[in-house]
Amino acid sequence: MADTPKIRVPKTAKKGEIIEIKTLMPHIMESGQRKDKDGKIIPRKIINKFVAEFEGKPVFSATLEPAIAANPYLQFNAKVEASGTFKFSWTDDDGTVTTAESKIEVA
Amino acid sequence: MQRAGMMTAGTAALAAMVAGVITLAPAAAQTKKEAPLVTTGDAAARPWKRYSGWPTRDESKWSTLAKVASPPPPKPEDVKKITGPITGDAKKGEELVADRNRGGSCLACHVMGPAGGANLPGNVGPDLSEIGAAGREDEWLYNYIYDARVYNAETVMPPWGSHGVFTDAEIRDMVAFLKTLKSPAKFKTVLDDPNKRPAPVEKRENLDPMENPGMWAVDKAQELFKQASAKGSCASCHSDPAKEFKTWAASMPKWEPRLGKVLGVEEFVTRHAAATTGAQWLMETDDNRTMSVYLHFLANGAPIAVDTQSADAKAAIARGKELAERKIGELNFACTDCHGKAANHWIRGQWLGEPKGQYDHFPTWRTSLQAIWDIRQRFQWCQVNIRADELSPDAKEYGDLELYLAAQNDGLKLSVPGIRH
Repeated sequence: MADTPKIRVPKTAKKGEIIEIKTLMPHIMESGQRKDKDGKIIPRKIINKFVAEFEGKPVFSATLEPAIAANPYLQFNAKVEASGTFKFSWTDDDGTVTTAESKIEVA
Repeated sequence: MQRAGMMTAGTAALAAMVAGVITLAPAAAQTKKEAPLVTTGDAAARPWKRYSGWPTRDESKWSTLAKVASPPPPKPEDVKKITGPITGDAKKGEELVADRNRGGSCLACHVMGPAGGANLPGNVGPDLSEIGAAGREDEWLYNYIYDARVYNAETVMPPWGSHGVFTDAEIRDMVAFLKTLKSPAKFKTVLDDPNKRPAPVEKRENLDPMENPGMWAVDKAQELFKQASAKGSCASCHSDPAKEFKTWAASMPKWEPRLGKVLGVEEFVTRHAAATTGAQWLMETDDNRTMSVYLHFLANGAPIAVDTQSADAKAAIARGKELAERKIGELNFACTDCHGKAANHWIRGQWLGEPKGQYDHFPTWRTSLQAIWDIRQRFQWCQVNIRADELSPDAKEYGDLELYLAAQNDGLKLSVPGIRH
């Protein structure tokens, strides 16, 4: 029952339109700087990389650092010329990659 | 967080009652077979353990919603006689009135000139910035702090002396400080002035999962709904939850004759799941909160319409009203002090709302805590804050109080999960 990523991509767009994409990944983003009750460092566990692709081609990517708050929210724009699928992936420190997809119809 | 449960007795027998779709109509229309419930045992962890991170003071000697233990209020003739002028240490007094570790600070309710840097004081009580020029006698000032009930039986002011929060010498220091206050407070910003500070408005889109992580519980609950426990899943009987529960949560809480108390959604979920699927969803555990959010969510838009007319409901509401008016805890507050007499005022930087509007968004996401709180947890936190021991979430007193609160929210449309600080 892991939390799934939330994404907002318009279902349709005009050719050449600049669309807004919103993504939110539920994640604790443990910085590795905090200590627990016994004074031991809580190990770092963050999403360190985010990539957005359109039909296999990179559109936007980000390297995330430990200072980023829980549940990282990223909003960016993309220009669409044809119908296709956006694919998003989030890479965890432990190697887990979570992905999500969204189709867009371009008229 | 999982807590050890006690509710296993009777589940097998009750499970046999489950057949076909159980219709959970609002109380008024309930003529069909009753929803199975485990009616024995507790619906929450026993003994109830206060959340870690909450204040750990022992408040057992004060009244709670379950017992009356605090000393009775003083009579007018109990005024402490003060002979001669009070000569305390005004500087120490100024520190004391702003000390949040002691009384919670006088500034929580009063503007007091320069005390605490005039930083976000409240306005529940009168502005005391010119009290030193008001012609009050030392004895009056002393007794108003010691126990204001000797002058005003209706006061909401905590009895600082009678309840032993401040000593005689400390109260004298505070009186000495009050006597120095002779000119209006100077605020650094308009927000510091509680009479000009704008009332908070919650504008976030609480049903947008991008804005409200509380909404993620709705996705989780749909999986949980189908997840099989010992004797099946919720979906085994409830094939169309969106239709079946379109208004159900808006009819809760309600009097449950089989238990002899008022059941809210959360306790109903615990007892119904134990009786049907065998799932152990004790109150205030993650799964219980998740299901409660979902069941409320399905009834979003439905106006709150609890049974207030049956004899049992009327009696429960009368008890709830009495509980809401009971002075509890070291600070000696009743629900109706803050959310009645002092409603729509500031306590420090926090707005005290009136009862209407305090129920339609529960369970709610708390952004400051990154957690979902149901109404019973909110009740518990209120009590710990006013230095009273909280009750277990399945306490019958909370049932009465919840019904009384829901009745005051009659007609408001559910919008769950809410999102609050």
